[in-house]
Amino acid sequence: MKTTKFKIASILLVVMTIGFSFTTLNKITVKGSDTMVILSQKWAEVYMQKNPGAIVQVTGGGSGVGIAALINGSTDIANSSRPMKASEVEKLKARYNTLGVEIPCAKDGLSVYLNKANGVSELTVKQIGLIFAGKITNWKEVGGVDAGIRLYGRESSSGTFVFFKDNVVKTDYSPSCQTLPGTAAIVNAVKKDKFAIGYGGAAYAEGVKDCKVKKDDKTPGVYPTAETIKNKTYPITRYLYMYLKSKPTGETKAFVDWILSPEGQKLIVSVGYFPVK
Amino acid sequence: MKKIVLAVLLLGAFAAKAQEVKSDTIKTISIDSLKESIDDHSMKIEGYGERLSAIESDIAKLTKIKISGYAQVQYDMYDIWGAAGHGLVVANSNPPTVITNSFYIRRARVKFTYEALDGVKFVLCPDFAFDKVQLKDAYIVLNDRWLQTFSLTMGQFNRLNYEVEYSSSSREVLERTRMIQTLYPSERELGAKFEANFETKYQLPLKLQLAAFNGNFALGTTANQVRDIDNTKDIMARALYSVKLPSSGLGIDFGAHGYFGKTEILPGTTLTGFTNEDNVAFTPKVGDQLDRSWMGGEIQIYYDILGGAALKGEYISGTISGTTNAIQTNSNFNYNRIRDFNGFYTTFIKNIGTSHQFAVRYDVWDPNTKLSGNEVKTVGDLKYSTWSFAWQYFFDDNVKIVAGYTLPTNEKSTNVGVAGGEYNNRDKTDNVFSLRLQAKF
Repeated sequence: MKTTKFKIASILLVVMTIGFSFTTLNKITVKGSDTMVILSQKWAEVYMQKNPGAIVQVTGGGSGVGIAALINGSTDIANSSRPMKASEVEKLKARYNTLGVEIPCAKDGLSVYLNKANGVSELTVKQIGLIFAGKITNWKEVGGVDAGIRLYGRESSSGTFVFFKDNVVKTDYSPSCQTLPGTAAIVNAVKKDKFAIGYGGAAYAEGVKDCKVKKDDKTPGVYPTAETIKNKTYPITRYLYMYLKSKPTGETKAFVDWILSPEGQKLIVSVGYFPVK
Repeated sequence: MKKIVLAVLLLGAFAAKAQEVKSDTIKTISIDSLKESIDDHSMKIEGYGERLSAIESDIAKLTKIKISGYAQVQYDMYDIWGAAGHGLVVANSNPPTVITNSFYIRRARVKFTYEALDGVKFVLCPDFAFDKVQLKDAYIVLNDRWLQTFSLTMGQFNRLNYEVEYSSSSREVLERTRMIQTLYPSERELGAKFEANFETKYQLPLKLQLAAFNGNFALGTTANQVRDIDNTKDIMARALYSVKLPSSGLGIDFGAHGYFGKTEILPGTTLTGFTNEDNVAFTPKVGDQLDRSWMGGEIQIYYDILGGAALKGEYISGTISGTTNAIQTNSNFNYNRIRDFNGFYTTFIKNIGTSHQFAVRYDVWDPNTKLSGNEVKTVGDLKYSTWSFAWQYFFDDNVKIVAGYTLPTNEKSTNVGVAGGEYNNRDKTDNVFSLRLQAKF
């Protein structure tokens, strides 16, 4: 008797497991990186036109916010302009018993923005790091005029903030670095301030000039262009990622597959980023 | 002539009109006042800017403080048969009053984390009960800023073990295993930990931990836990490695840990009634140090199949010792004895959809590996195996509901006839069903 009950319970459990696992809705929520918002919205817009039954909802907030939403279950896809941290993977493991699924979906170069009137037009990665760490505070230390350097950067929830910190600054940002909500705000601030410097996606540099970046003292300065970002001669390049809790199924899988298809990848160039394939 | 006069008059009129430069003058005055007004507003805006930057700086300080916490409230049903009848006996009631169900606040904790600088963290976590507030975590972490690999933690923090470090707010089954509750009572200890994590800087998923502890936390009276009660420190070490196979959705974490400590015989200890690991009586001397050391292995396998699934296990074997001296007694090992023990658990967890999770655990605790069956003469030497089942429903981001059933089964011995015959050659009836509501922020 007990064995029969146990068998029935086991069968019920298996059926429920499989049933719930395949339950998907046509609505896909995408949240995260501000850098990726325009790109993601473009993907969503074109995908929905081609698949009238599908609803893709895109919001920003920053990579950290997107990954937190993925962990707490309030988004299907987290956009992130930095790789997921080990601590975030641990949280996914604890909640979903998976390591998450990482999908590099585009490439980007991080530009260093300078005001057009600034005499400096070339810096090494090390100099940029020292500037944002507050160790170099005057333009004359890097070949410019005798004027203080004003720093503009992103908020700590931004993936761009984290990527730039980990790969360029390599220590804490200077306390004098003014944080602004979004790359467009940084570009605007640098445009108005002759002695300002900021960073952000290569696609946003309008009304400011891109700084030529040198890997070290011996290598020539390189502008962030399609060519230099693709062939990695520009030193500050990164992947843009989509993260999922587990292997996608249903509409989410169809959307992700479409993004990685030649059609989805073609749209990347139109918003200033670069395809992964 | 008339024409000339008319022309002169017209010219005069135009000239007069032209002199109405007053309007220009008025304009100049307007621009001046406008300029003044703009200057005034600019100054005001600058003032606001200064105030804003002061507020920003204050907010930046506040963002360094993170507050988290959780509460667990539950309804328990006790399927327990004791000498007094079915249920739990109410303390000091005469005749004994038994209860078969109760509401219960299991946890109410708030955790404050202050990250003053990138490499410095201070953590404070009080635990609230209806009659007291207890300090659970209080430690400072210093991270090395240069290699981003090493860290030093000092204060009161979790011992180095997977099940101990895995928060009960995340745990899939209701309680920790009998083995872990006995070896690491209250989970925390007072001491210092040195950790090397090679993942951030070198992308090598290896973590090494070494710690020195007082060795008497959650043992004996609270007053004696504030400082060490002997001059030797207990040492713990743990190594962990992770393997990730993203293409197949598989992740394996495995590791080992060791605990190397002693139980010192303190003045005031009753020196009679001691038995050693061979179950032979002996009489220790004050100052003797009884062995308390063990080694363990752990593995956690995560697999992405129809949603997530995990298989977790741990095995620990070694020697445990204790005394009945109130200064140092372990409530789960309250005996004058040394014992060779072993124990293990294996837990299977399956996520079902995004809101449900099922878990089953089987754990074994054998506090005396040299005796079994009818050779066992006291309750403390009985081997336990326990099945635990749990179903979790994640109501939203912060709230989950857990239904769990725990079925402990003890070894049978005709020689164990204590506590009104509860253990007399039988499995004590001690199953518990719990319905728990957890809110976490």
